[in-house]
Amino acid sequence: MIELRDIVKEYFTSSGEIVKALSNINIAIKEGELVVLRGASGSGKSTILSLIASLCKPTSGEVIVNGERVSKLLDNFASDFRRDTLGFVFQKFNLLPNLSVKENVILPLVPLNLDAKEVEKSVLRVLEMFHIEHKANQPVKNLSGGEQQRVAIARANINNPKIILADEPTANLDEELSLHFIEMLKELKGQGKTIVVATHDPIFFDLKIVDRVITLHQGMLL
Amino acid sequence: MRSRINFYIIEYAINSLLAQKYKTIFMVIILSSLIFLLSSLFFIKNSIKYELDVTLDSLPQIIVQNIKAGRHYDIDIEAIDEILNINGVEGAVARVWGYYYFENAGVNFTLMGIDEYEEGYKESLKKVAKELDFSSSSMIVGEGVRDVLNKSYYKEYFNFIKPNGELKKVEIGGVFSADSLLESNDVIVMSRDTLREIFDMEQNRATDIVVRVANADEISTVAAKIKLKYPSFRVITNNDLRVSYQNIFDYKSGLFLSLFIISIFTFFIIVYDKASGLSSEQKREIGVLRAIGWRVDDILKERFYEAFIVSIFSFLAGTIFAFAFVYTFNAPLISNIFSGYSKLKTTFDLAFVFDMQTLALIFFLSVPIYISAIIIPSWKSATLDVDEVIR
Repeated sequence: MIELRDIVKEYFTSSGEIVKALSNINIAIKEGELVVLRGASGSGKSTILSLIASLCKPTSGEVIVNGERVSKLLDNFASDFRRDTLGFVFQKFNLLPNLSVKENVILPLVPLNLDAKEVEKSVLRVLEMFHIEHKANQPVKNLSGGEQQRVAIARANINNPKIILADEPTANLDEELSLHFIEMLKELKGQGKTIVVATHDPIFFDLKIVDRVITLHQGMLL
Repeated sequence: MRSRINFYIIEYAINSLLAQKYKTIFMVIILSSLIFLLSSLFFIKNSIKYELDVTLDSLPQIIVQNIKAGRHYDIDIEAIDEILNINGVEGAVARVWGYYYFENAGVNFTLMGIDEYEEGYKESLKKVAKELDFSSSSMIVGEGVRDVLNKSYYKEYFNFIKPNGELKKVEIGGVFSADSLLESNDVIVMSRDTLREIFDMEQNRATDIVVRVANADEISTVAAKIKLKYPSFRVITNNDLRVSYQNIFDYKSGLFLSLFIISIFTFFIIVYDKASGLSSEQKREIGVLRAIGWRVDDILKERFYEAFIVSIFSFLAGTIFAFAFVYTFNAPLISNIFSGYSKLKTTFDLAFVFDMQTLALIFFLSVPIYISAIIIPSWKSATLDVDEVIR
């Protein structure tokens, strides 16, 4: 399903120095697996998610998702791939604060120009699935952290993706809300989705639903 | 499916504008104000230019004046016969005219005298001659004059004060309007005899002589011949007057040009500010949209709709307000720059001139430039590495 082959990712700092974010990374994730990427800040977890989502390109190596070399995709095809194949839950949710819950959730479907009834049906489905339908018309900025995260997950699921990527999903949540998020993960896994969570929150490491924990340290696999 | 207009993107653009309503309103006000100022300047300029052209078209071909000690004096009408003998001269008419200062209102009227049977030198005066009652002391007044007199309760007649201090009562026989308000607004027309009485002018004298030439190409030659015959006379051709009027217009246009440059300059500062980059919040929004599957062209379409809505709304608001300001309210404050050469303080209506070219120029100076200023930085951000933008 997801394969990272000999991945090296280097960044240039503002002073022109090269920083190696990932070195020689080889990971294979099967369909329906829930994989946790564990590591301290700066260990390269988020970079791996970005590479899978084709948000950035590796310096060398290949990222293959569903048999497609996403690391070679041109910008617009990468956008299509993200829209059709995966849902991304960002650490800071990355919602548009001035828009309503519904307007945020609908965003991935906007470029598809679908029939209004179809869109409405999809929105209602995810809002109900993540128990946020009662806040549908409220601006996102007025919601609590937990509610915002549910909106972010609803948005990531609006296109019914096969893959869910979550970057530090509990970093901004208290324990109760973190447990609630895990319940939502269970539900998504139950639907057969492939899930990759990048986190350093220990709450994930011993969960029964987690198939594998991959540990990273300074851009390398341990 | 993607070739159809995507109303979701338009809806998103509208929601996005409404979500930042204060910022949007502020931008619309600024843009509308600049377009309003720019449009007003163009509309006033067009209107005044129209007035000027009409005035210039109605100017006599040659005016002959008597000069004494460097000043304009009454001319002996016997000179008409001599002038008519010059080859190429088709006609010559003595004019009796002058100014009258109406102290109550603090305004100057232009008084013109005409004869019932004499050939008029101006089409508009021919029309007036038919309406004027030459059998009594009567006058036809311009609309501006009528308004001024009405305010001073002179509704049926007016008492002119003659040079010797006596009063001359003249009935108001009617009101006339010519093609141009600049030409007619402050004018009073009456019989030459009545006017001579008011000005205390002898019967064989006139203010000046207007000469009509058969072939317009010979105006300067005929003018030279008159000058040769009467060296003390001042001979003014319509071309001399045209240059003089044009100089006044160009001088006034210079003032307008300054305002025009200021408004354009301000507009370009806004455009430069917009084009020089997006705020971190705007960049992040673009990054988020890219991250959840929007293509670069989807983002550009959305930005286009946003900029189009703001700029077209501002354009319409600015031009509609300018139309109302100039043609309904007569452009208070700024029209005075142009119409200042009329000493009359009566109302002066700017002629309505609808010029598509002007509207097109204002449109192209505002809407596409503003849209470009929004789209270019958005395109720059949208083509960056998404990961780099949203982190």
